[in-house]
Amino acid sequence: MLAIEYFEVECTEPVGAEYYRQITNDVLLDYNLLRVIHKLHIYIDPKVPIFVAVGILKKITTRVRVGDFANVNPLEGKITLVISDETYLAPMLKIFWQKFGKDHVEQPDRFTVILYDVKAELKEIEEIIVADPSESLYKDLIYAFRCIAPEGFRLRSETFSKEKFSFVASENTLPENIDEIIREKFALMGEVP
Amino acid sequence: MTLVPITYRGGIYQHDIVTDLIEDLGGYIIQKHVIAAEVVLQCFVPREDIELIRQVAKPIFGEVTDTPLVGTEIAIVSMSLEIHHLPHPSCDIAEYVRRIGAKSNMVSLARGPGKRIAGLNDEERDVINEHDIAVYLMGNFETCIEYKMPTLLRGIEVPVVVCGGPDKETLKKIIDPPVDGYVGNVGRFMRRTKEADEIGKLDEIVAEITRVLEKKREEIQKDPLSVSPARLMGLIKEKVPAIHAVTSPTPLTVQMAGLRVKLPYDTFAGDLRKLEVEDGILLGDISEVVPSRMRDYILVKILPFSETNMVV
Repeated sequence: MLAIEYFEVECTEPVGAEYYRQITNDVLLDYNLLRVIHKLHIYIDPKVPIFVAVGILKKITTRVRVGDFANVNPLEGKITLVISDETYLAPMLKIFWQKFGKDHVEQPDRFTVILYDVKAELKEIEEIIVADPSESLYKDLIYAFRCIAPEGFRLRSETFSKEKFSFVASENTLPENIDEIIREKFALMGEVP
Repeated sequence: MTLVPITYRGGIYQHDIVTDLIEDLGGYIIQKHVIAAEVVLQCFVPREDIELIRQVAKPIFGEVTDTPLVGTEIAIVSMSLEIHHLPHPSCDIAEYVRRIGAKSNMVSLARGPGKRIAGLNDEERDVINEHDIAVYLMGNFETCIEYKMPTLLRGIEVPVVVCGGPDKETLKKIIDPPVDGYVGNVGRFMRRTKEADEIGKLDEIVAEITRVLEKKREEIQKDPLSVSPARLMGLIKEKVPAIHAVTSPTPLTVQMAGLRVKLPYDTFAGDLRKLEVEDGILLGDISEVVPSRMRDYILVKILPFSETNMVV
């Protein structure tokens, strides 16, 4: 849990808190979300019952460019791209077709793409943005917290902005003073919601 | 002659020597798995002949181990089929008990999770009651376990082992009505059990299940069954050819005091009742043949000596 500056699990049952600390760590690690969370405070009270997670997100640019996963080699009027990671191959081809036209793009095998008669600089091609995984970040975060929260807590209220997020879940109607609880938990981290 | 459960592991080459020997000694093979070039036999053999089987198996590199859970059917009761409980820990535990011979079924509750909203319906209750033992896998909070356990135990007649996040002493204190076995510090977790301490916990669960089942076995021995379930299995295999057409991994599942026959009840129940066990004694005389709540299977509940006055 080194990547997170502040990480606390507050619970009325100390044993439960320790387990939930472990679960949170495992889930965030599994979904590769540790790198986007800066501070995280979780509060669970099984007596109410309620689950609250508040946190601060890191500002990171996660845009994936062609140069990040492909080796671009210009050679005798054609440009050969050697792909090392297939994950973004499909969106990249789509962009190439739009930009240069299907006649100029050829893919002889899984890991090679060749561009013919393209009037573009090497640098320009390397800098083309193919995908932005941060677009699905909020979806991933909500999914991760649904996994972390005790099951059966199906009444949820979540707020996710660019920097901060809060996630509340319970099996009963959420208490009226929920905003106050969220503010308190943010204050514990030295932040305001 | 006391039959004890063992597992034989060895190469496929000449393994029929061992199968023949077990049958000649009066033992029964409950399950036979052929995995690539390896054979795993789960069987009941006379206690005094284990050493003989070891000696016979030695030249063909076979290995005989004690597996106390052979011939038992265990219900692993998971609170739901969500990612919260699957594949860890539910599948890990269900798979681990299978390694030592048990036939484990995972029973997942429709409304298991939560605290106030947790419940058990009649079908789930009946399915759990068809097993030899139920292992309840609970969560991490003692408040929730204390609150929902009475609901989840309502109508359950088989022995129950509860696994939960709080330690064993706490579980004993909070669970009312008391159950037969408790394993603490095994609540919900989201990682594979592969470290030594985690495997140790699985061993602890197995030890607890074994202890509870041993107690049940002793109870059964006080009033012995009219026929051994393993013997009945061999008999059905011999006399009901339709069982060989069933593609399920265990067409006949041996339980401690009965047998699950994976054939449709309406078609085969009558034939089973009329099956002759020995010297004119029919299966219907020494057992109850009832429909199972699991699909349309048949459940054969063998009656004890005190009710039938005969042991075959």
